[in-house]
Amino acid sequence: MIKNDLEVNIMTQQQEKLSAFMDGEIDGNEIIDAIKTDDEMQAKWQRYHVIRSAMRKEASVAPQLDITASVAAALESEPAILAPKTARWKSIPILSNVVPFAKQSGQFAVAASVALAMVLGVQFMNQPAPTEPFTTAPTPTIQGGLSPVSLEQTREVPRNDMGEVLERNRKINALIADHEQQVRLQQAQDNNSADEAEEQDDRP
Amino acid sequence: MSKFSAFNVPAPPRLVRVFLNQLKCSTILVCLAIPNFSHAQESAEEPVEPSTTAAVPQPLTTWDWLRRMTHVLTNSNFQVALVQSRAGNETVPYLWRHAVLDDGTHMEQLNLQNGPGQEHIRVNDIVSVFEPDVTPYSLRSNIIDGPLPSELLYYPERLKPSYEFVSVGRARVAGRPAQQIRIVSRDNSRFSYQLWLDEASGMPLKLNMLDLQGALLQQIQVTSLVIAEVPHPYFSRINQELLPHPMEIASQPLREHGWEVEYLPVGMREVRRDIRRLALTGQVVEYKMFSDGLVDVSVYVQPVSEAVGSDAALRHELNTFLTLTDGNAQVTVVGEVPLQTANAIATSLTLTSVNP
Repeated sequence: MIKNDLEVNIMTQQQEKLSAFMDGEIDGNEIIDAIKTDDEMQAKWQRYHVIRSAMRKEASVAPQLDITASVAAALESEPAILAPKTARWKSIPILSNVVPFAKQSGQFAVAASVALAMVLGVQFMNQPAPTEPFTTAPTPTIQGGLSPVSLEQTREVPRNDMGEVLERNRKINALIADHEQQVRLQQAQDNNSADEAEEQDDRP
Repeated sequence: MSKFSAFNVPAPPRLVRVFLNQLKCSTILVCLAIPNFSHAQESAEEPVEPSTTAAVPQPLTTWDWLRRMTHVLTNSNFQVALVQSRAGNETVPYLWRHAVLDDGTHMEQLNLQNGPGQEHIRVNDIVSVFEPDVTPYSLRSNIIDGPLPSELLYYPERLKPSYEFVSVGRARVAGRPAQQIRIVSRDNSRFSYQLWLDEASGMPLKLNMLDLQGALLQQIQVTSLVIAEVPHPYFSRINQELLPHPMEIASQPLREHGWEVEYLPVGMREVRRDIRRLALTGQVVEYKMFSDGLVDVSVYVQPVSEAVGSDAALRHELNTFLTLTDGNAQVTVVGEVPLQTANAIATSLTLTSVNP
């Protein structure tokens, strides 16, 4: 019973956080994690958005119509022109990619966040596929950042394995952030010992 | 050309040989660049000729120049404005001041000039950091970790095992006559640098970081330089009593790993090994850090079940990120080294019999 109460408690807390986050009242790192891992939260997240756009009268979306799901489904059935191949990751050993998480941090700060990994996730997936069988128009350019989900912008639509990609980027970010922190730490320690050595040198 | 080479005469024999080798390659480049180059030389030299001959009676060697740089950085009152540019990123401007007060106290300030800012203040061997959203803190350190690599500025001789320092000649940077020095790793396994030093004072004026193909990765350029007799009034306004107390960094005990890295670039050595949790994900990693003084490389080993998943090679700012999976372990190499070097390090990993 106690456990159940606790669960209910956590649920309400998260719900509150979710709506606060949607209203831009809190910084969403924690809640994004929750949304990512919890199907129920995902559903809520989606529902809240539909409700909100309906309230603001910008809803061309009927409440029952999950546009992301249907577009994703459409993409699935489409030939491989639009859907980037995951196999590329393995086949191409060198893939330079700028990982743009904002960073101007001090000697110790850890700079990385899941929210930014989200942006990354989309950019990674929108790399133009290497073999486009029949491109007649000019080569499509990479779209910068996130843009609103709509039927025209098919290249920007998240796929079903978005969660995996996010998780992967989160891990990459964690490693890079850790490296940067270690470098700073190392420098601080180096300088300590260098200082002592120098003091000894200086004395005649 | 005669003026050009006159500055390199007294270099030690080994450097001369290297220089001659370099010269063969660079002659071609110089020939290509002659129209611009000669113009720059003329305009730069005319007004400054008397002062440089007075200040530099004899041509200095590469190491003389580097020693002068360290000396002026640690013993003068200066104020430098500099910008840092990286490919694909916005330019970041800094203000950098140093002063030696009457009582012998060394004070230094590094201020990030854009956005909400970030301020480092050093009083002798304590650095205090002020930045938005973080409680101010202090560290014990006798240098500020700024955009210019501190090892190069203050202990260039420590980089000798890993890098070759070669004088290239005169140039004009930030409106001043300058001496150019090329810094190339001895086994060509790391990025290379070009450093320009002010002829009159020895202050660094510009630092380029180049990849193996010679493409510019990062440029740090001084835009204004003032060396004064007296400390900048800014330093007298700092109330040293109010700076935060320095934190103590506990040194980590060494931990044994069940693996070693067989390949390392020349001059690089292990500086740390431990087993840690990553701050962002809480994953446990086995960790080694290697350093040649100028660049630090991190090697992480994780069980495949927790790791990134597929193999990947990415570039984040100047860092190369390479992750490879081999059986049950995922090896990740992060650092400011070319991808080839990161790959050589990652693939040289071997298991040792020691089991932690």
